[in-house]
Amino acid sequence: MTKAVIINGDGKTCSSIIGPTGPEHRRLANKVMEDALRQANLSFEEISCVIATGYGRINVPFADRQITELTCHAKGVASFFPTARTAIDIGGQDAKGLKIKNGKLVDFVMNDRCAAGTGRFLEILVDTLGLKIEELGNTSLKSTKKVQISNTCTVFAQMEVMTHLSQGTPLPDIVAGLHDAIATRVVRMAKKLKIEPDVVFTGGVAKNIGMVNALKDNLGLEVLVPDEPLLTGALGAAILGKELTLKALAEGKPIHEKERRLEEATFFQAESN
Amino acid sequence: MSDEKKKKKKAINRLKTMYPLRANIDKGYERSVEATKAGKPTAWSMVNWWEADPILKAMDIEIVYPENYGAVCAAFGKAQAFLDRSDAEGFPTHMCGYARNCIGYAAKMKELGEIPSEAPMGGMPKPMLLLCSGALCDARIKWFQALGRYLDAPVWTVEMPHPGVEESQMPGVREKAIDFMVKELREFVVFLERLTGRKMDWNKLDEIANDLIAINKIWYDLNEMRKVRPCPMHSRDFWTCMNASLFPAGDPKEALRLYQDMYDEVKQRVDDKIGAVANEKYRMIFGELPPWHALKIFDELAERGWNFVIESWAYQAPKPMDYSKISDPIERIATQTYQWLTGYFEDALKEKEYMGYFAYPYIEWARTFQCDGALFHPLITCRTATNHLILAQDRLLSKWNVPAMIAEGDIVDLNLFDYADTMRKAEVLEEMMDHHKKVRQERGLEW
Amino acid sequence: MTAEEKKGIARAKEIYQDRALRAKELKAEGKQVMGYFCLYPVLEVLTAFDIAPFRILGDMKEPITKADACLPTVVCPFVRSAFDLGLKGRYDFFDGVVMCHSCDIGEKASHIWRIYLDPSYYHFLDTPHTVHKAAQEQFKGQLEDFIKTLESFTGKELSTDKLKEAVEIYNRQRALVRELYDLNKSDPPLVSGTEIIEIMVALMSIPVDEGNDLLKQVITEAKERSDGPQKKPYRLLVWGSVIDNTALIEMIESVGANVVMDDTCVGSRAYFPVVETTDDPLDGLAYRYLVELKCPRTFWEAEYGETKKDYIKDLDSRFGYVKDYIKEWDVNGVILQSVRYCDIHGYEVPGIGDYLNHNSLPNIYIEHDYSEGALAPLRTRVQAFLELIG
Repeated sequence: MTKAVIINGDGKTCSSIIGPTGPEHRRLANKVMEDALRQANLSFEEISCVIATGYGRINVPFADRQITELTCHAKGVASFFPTARTAIDIGGQDAKGLKIKNGKLVDFVMNDRCAAGTGRFLEILVDTLGLKIEELGNTSLKSTKKVQISNTCTVFAQMEVMTHLSQGTPLPDIVAGLHDAIATRVVRMAKKLKIEPDVVFTGGVAKNIGMVNALKDNLGLEVLVPDEPLLTGALGAAILGKELTLKALAEGKPIHEKERRLEEATFFQAESN
Repeated sequence: MSDEKKKKKKAINRLKTMYPLRANIDKGYERSVEATKAGKPTAWSMVNWWEADPILKAMDIEIVYPENYGAVCAAFGKAQAFLDRSDAEGFPTHMCGYARNCIGYAAKMKELGEIPSEAPMGGMPKPMLLLCSGALCDARIKWFQALGRYLDAPVWTVEMPHPGVEESQMPGVREKAIDFMVKELREFVVFLERLTGRKMDWNKLDEIANDLIAINKIWYDLNEMRKVRPCPMHSRDFWTCMNASLFPAGDPKEALRLYQDMYDEVKQRVDDKIGAVANEKYRMIFGELPPWHALKIFDELAERGWNFVIESWAYQAPKPMDYSKISDPIERIATQTYQWLTGYFEDALKEKEYMGYFAYPYIEWARTFQCDGALFHPLITCRTATNHLILAQDRLLSKWNVPAMIAEGDIVDLNLFDYADTMRKAEVLEEMMDHHKKVRQERGLEW
Repeated sequence: MTAEEKKGIARAKEIYQDRALRAKELKAEGKQVMGYFCLYPVLEVLTAFDIAPFRILGDMKEPITKADACLPTVVCPFVRSAFDLGLKGRYDFFDGVVMCHSCDIGEKASHIWRIYLDPSYYHFLDTPHTVHKAAQEQFKGQLEDFIKTLESFTGKELSTDKLKEAVEIYNRQRALVRELYDLNKSDPPLVSGTEIIEIMVALMSIPVDEGNDLLKQVITEAKERSDGPQKKPYRLLVWGSVIDNTALIEMIESVGANVVMDDTCVGSRAYFPVVETTDDPLDGLAYRYLVELKCPRTFWEAEYGETKKDYIKDLDSRFGYVKDYIKEWDVNGVILQSVRYCDIHGYEVPGIGDYLNHNSLPNIYIEHDYSEGALAPLRTRVQAFLELIG
């Protein structure tokens, strides 16, 4: 997913957009930016500072700066939950654990090598289950006896799920087992940070109530989930942009280090061909 | 007998003398746990192939082997929590499973201030010494050093030279190597005396050193009898009993007597032409440690005529030699361990095989034990047990037309071993073994 | 400019990109070139026999295809890569190889190398695990055996004078490397971390006297040029397993940091210790190679025969020199890196992390697969680490 958040000087959100994802990072970045500007009824010239974050951050030509999603997430999480000390973010591509102190990132761990332990794991397995990704959460709530998915490799886990299906294991029990498998992996990774409450759970997977429960069980702790867990990183980036702008103004320095321009999307379409 | 007719006869004919020997091993282990719980000074030690054990025993220090304990935790299904803890402590996940189990255990023990309650078989008590061994793998010197994070026990490393095959046969190399080991062991004794405030009982050391040499001699001779057709003893019996030689717990004299009984039984079988497997069709080599949770696969294979006649070099006794002229027990100890390490090198060099341990013995045994094939079980988190197996597989086939199959497993993640897949591969291997037997005959080889 | 005319940093880059360039010329002139693995084969001995040593390294750009037939995939990918290059004939110009007990896989791969590549000269130099007095004597004995096999291979007798000369010329090289590294104490550093890798790899690919000339050119050039590294907010030290390719350092330097110091074996670890002049040069050599080389393959203890373990004291004895580097080079962050499956560095990671934390030095551990393509995800980690230092 490609996301954009615009905030004003008071930190109030003027617009937030969740767009599709794909290989053409540049075109998609332009598209969500245009949509966000339209929603906020602003022109690009009125934007003081643009921060690009996430995997595609180097493909946002109109950004003033690139900051990693780890720093941005920590910022975003702290803005929702000032008491947060640990954040667990499970996205489609990766999973992260963040340690936060005084609203700032102080340590982190990441898994970006392996689909198991990320949202991708569920995306791959929903087809096998004949479900939609949105249905997973509620389906898992009906589970009475979750199965144990012993394979940590996505491909083997898929075979294991097929075996369970052929044995007539109830769907909710399989889904609950899959949630548990991801949660186990992510918590194992996050333990390197010496987890402290409050724990915040973000990323697309945090919308899945089954995953939230599985994470709670594995942590043995309550977890907080923001209303829009997908936008945490983008919001954090916007807040950092605001901070950088205010700092530059206070120091009497220019906000933009280089000239920026929101290019026509068509140009990038042509280039990416 | 009617009873036997009713019951399906087990495909592997186990040795009767194996049971009391195993019981003695278990009893020795329990006694050791009791002694350490009672506060007897305890060393955590790497398996050291008789280089340090006699010294510790002569000083009346109880020995706990964390490598062995890793296998115990895995068998009890308790390893995962310790592995997770090691990962959480920041140790890379690709490292030795036994080491990670031990690191996780030590971290937990430090946190609790006592033995973790979930630790199987009474756990490992806090050590007064961590004893590394320079033999074979890096984990065995690095892991105890890393434990400094959790334990304030001093760490000592017993040295072991690793000459190359050709280099080992140069004049003076053997003497220098043994001399080096002797010097280091003497330093070790001085250090232990300082650490424990006790004096070395040299007479006791002399006796224990001799006992261990005698145990190894009989254990070696016993295994030599497995060259006979049909092979009288299966690898299952080897694995059940090898601990009495490798981890000398309890009374060595008792172990020696039990090995003697076992020798007699095997000898009787040889005389009576009784095999460990009824219809021995394939004489097999087994590589590295077996899948402990799936040992019944050997019964299923035995039903197909597979008899496992020899196994991994690292757990075998050294080739016998004359120690009678070595009056100094320390020198005798060093010589035996060096003999174990390099005992096959001279023959390896003659055949221009340059990995004198691990790989070469398989190549020699394929001929001397007249083997038809090999089953290799690499252990993914134990690289030392794995990194020579592709070489061995290649050399066995190209040199002797002895095919080998590889079935992956692990030392702590016991689920990794795929039983059904291994059986499927075994069928294919049978076809290969049949084919290559003909090729060997065409080549004029003896078997 | 033709290839002949290149000098200094450009010449180093040229050799880095085609490592065998000079070695093949030497061969054409009738000189002998021998491969060596890891840091323990004593280079002075080879040089005293008029043999040019050539370090066996891997190639991150080259996919490993042939080594899988002899080495399993779960072992150190650097070793697999180096061995793969051997199987592909990249090292066919060697007159022989000198291997050592660097680490377990290094030892096994050495024996496997001999079996599959059948070099006309092969020597395996056993290397003790400890640095005890007896171990030093033992290692000296190993060197004597090494000399014997070289004498029998070359038909020449080793002259002690030539060995002493070799010690001197290598010590000069070590002093020049230190001088080069000293240039990076300034801010901005005068040589980038990427260039350092190129220079070090070049040094390990040419005879020592030529290396010394190259170093002199490089040092002069670095002092005079105006297009050196830019000032950046982060001055980093990179610690860990072998780095013989620029990709990792380039990635680190591309996210806004200068790599000003290293503790790796194609870097300071290989060159900083010097050989003390001793009556029998083998005494000084044995001491330098066994005791002074700070690779975690060796077992260290804070105090010989200590009966109590003081963790911080232990760490100080093992990593104190890294703290000194940090101070001297004014480092503000440390990247601990290791190639996957490297046991000897793996066990060290939490310990050195503890030590750096104890001394309030920000650090991060990254693990890689020794392939250029797999470095991309690490970029985020490194950048986030820099953001975290602030």
